[in-house]
Amino acid sequence: MDRGFLLESLRSAIEAIKTNKLRSLLTTLGIIIGVTTVIAVISVISGLKTQVASSFSTLGANVLYVQKYPWVMGGAGIDWWKIRQRKDIGMDEFRALKEYGSSFKYVAPQITYRYDVKVGNKNARGVEVIGTTEHFPEIRDQGVKLGRFLSMDDIRYKRDICILGQDVVNTLYPDENPIGKVVRIKGRVLTVIGILKELGDLMGQSMDNVVVVPYTTMSKFVGRRRSITITVLAQDEEEASEEIRWILRRLRKVKPGEDDDFSINSSGAITKQFNELTRTMFIIMIGIAGISLVVGGIGIMNIMLVSVTERTREIGVRKAIGAKSSEILSQFLLESVMISFVGGIIGIFLGFSLTKLISTIGNMPFGMPIWSIVLGFSFSFFIGVFFGIYPARKAAALSPVEALRYE
Amino acid sequence: MSNLIEMKKVKKTYQLGETEVHALQGVNVKISKGEFISIVGPSGSGKSTLMHIIGCLDIPSEGAYHLQGEDVGEMNGDQLADIRKKFIGFVFQDFYLLSDVTAWYNVALPMIYNRVPPRTRKERAINLLEEVGLADRINHLPSQLSGGERQRVTIARALSNNPEIILADEPTGNLDSVTGEGVMQIFYKLHEEGKTVIIVTHEHYVADQAERKIRLKDGMIEDEG
Ligand SMILES: Nc1ncnc2c1ncn2[C@@H]1O[C@H](COP(=O)(O)OP(=O)(O)OP(=O)(O)O)[C@@H](O)[C@H]1O
Ligand SMILES: [Mg+2]
Repeated sequence: MDRGFLLESLRSAIEAIKTNKLRSLLTTLGIIIGVTTVIAVISVISGLKTQVASSFSTLGANVLYVQKYPWVMGGAGIDWWKIRQRKDIGMDEFRALKEYGSSFKYVAPQITYRYDVKVGNKNARGVEVIGTTEHFPEIRDQGVKLGRFLSMDDIRYKRDICILGQDVVNTLYPDENPIGKVVRIKGRVLTVIGILKELGDLMGQSMDNVVVVPYTTMSKFVGRRRSITITVLAQDEEEASEEIRWILRRLRKVKPGEDDDFSINSSGAITKQFNELTRTMFIIMIGIAGISLVVGGIGIMNIMLVSVTERTREIGVRKAIGAKSSEILSQFLLESVMISFVGGIIGIFLGFSLTKLISTIGNMPFGMPIWSIVLGFSFSFFIGVFFGIYPARKAAALSPVEALRYE
Repeated sequence: MSNLIEMKKVKKTYQLGETEVHALQGVNVKISKGEFISIVGPSGSGKSTLMHIIGCLDIPSEGAYHLQGEDVGEMNGDQLADIRKKFIGFVFQDFYLLSDVTAWYNVALPMIYNRVPPRTRKERAINLLEEVGLADRINHLPSQLSGGERQRVTIARALSNNPEIILADEPTGNLDSVTGEGVMQIFYKLHEEGKTVIIVTHEHYVADQAERKIRLKDGMIEDEG
């Protein structure tokens, strides 16, 4: 297209928008809302995704958690009442998995209770005390940063020893090396042999407020028994899952055709759940955005029809001085695209601000994928063309004489 | 002399709902290059219709119209637009200037459609405004100009692609006689420079300046002389 003509069409479009500022702005409202929604939804979801992904990466890949309850409720066919009736997972299950499992790298129980951990008059409240075996570091990908971890003998001889998480160290031994010192849990005195590497937070909760002890030692001071967790480090999650199901269903005498009476949880599964959730959210929001974009488009079409009518004379003059139909068409199409684009730009800006606001309030990482901006622009361009073509064609098709005669 | 414009039995019929309006009912006209012609006749006699057809804004319903030997009736919209752009300059009674741009930009507008480079465009627009006596009104908006000045801008615009034919529909209709006389002098000058000038008018002092008067009545040529 000729540059002079393009500039003239641009000038004329800007002029038309300027003379009807309020009208143009109201027209673009639908586009603004649509684009804002698209940008905000994409940005917030992608921010959430990064957060969830980074959070669960601390749980480790290929780690399966065999537990009584599933981590995530929801999905089809979940019967909460039946789940409540499940038998506890206990050491029998652990021993069975250890004995018959062939596709696992490591299996370890994790018996978890919350206790106060004390030294003298210092008290670390509600610490997660985990009873486990020497394989805990491999499974959790968390070794000691000082001292040593549990050994097979520690387990076998039920030694009164423990490894502290950094949070507990901070509370009980803020200024000294705790190794060789003791702590008390439920009146039992345990010698500290190591300090765990720090893991940081998972979903806002510290992962370092822990004490690890041999599970055999733990059974000496635990009162009423509860269901335990069995952690499995798998080579292949699918394969290991199947094997666990096979072993546990036989052990727990689950009849064929009946549902499992235990849950195999993993970070992969939870991420999958999360993705499913966001997909639904995504589809709903895109639907809303789509509707407002269409409404916006119809608004643009309407206002362009008005504009064409108002400027019938001008169209006549342009034709009289030699403008081709295609040139009239381009001029009005450019105008509608521009109106739509203005809405798109405002929408992108608002979407950006909204995302920023949500991420600040929700304490989430801020991220606005470039492609969401590209999408915002493409949407407004497409709407401008799609809904502008009819009025522009109407303008182009006007007969010069009729247009000049128009009062 | 060669015929620039040649019409044979040209009819123009408008459909107004059920009824047909016969605006032109068999017009034969020959106009040579460089002629200065006025078209007169009572209101509704078809003057504007004739002018629109001469100017390729419209095509005849029946009959033949040849412009420089070419059959206009056979042309499509783009070809007609091309002829209007290069051969014809229109001057309207109500000026029809773009209100949001200056005098020189209005004059330059046809050159935009004719793909004239920007620098040449402005230069030529200013020259044309000087020619019609508006050297000091170049950057005025139409609303800041008097009627006579506006009409002169319109004439300058009509001249911007250096057309062969100038068509004016009641160019003095909205002007007092003194101002109208000034505008007529410009047309006369253009005629002297060799342009073909055709003016539709009601006013005697305008019609009388032309070399030839075409008198229309009820869509027919009543008198030529
Ligand atoms: N688009 C149209 N639809 C229907 N009738 C039309 C149309 N254009 C012109 N006419 C009719 O054709 C006839 C000739 O019109 P035209 O405008 O050519 O007259 P005119 O001689 O220019 O009149 P005036 O001096 O008032 O301008 C008139 O009766 C008019 O009503
Ligand atoms: Mg008329």
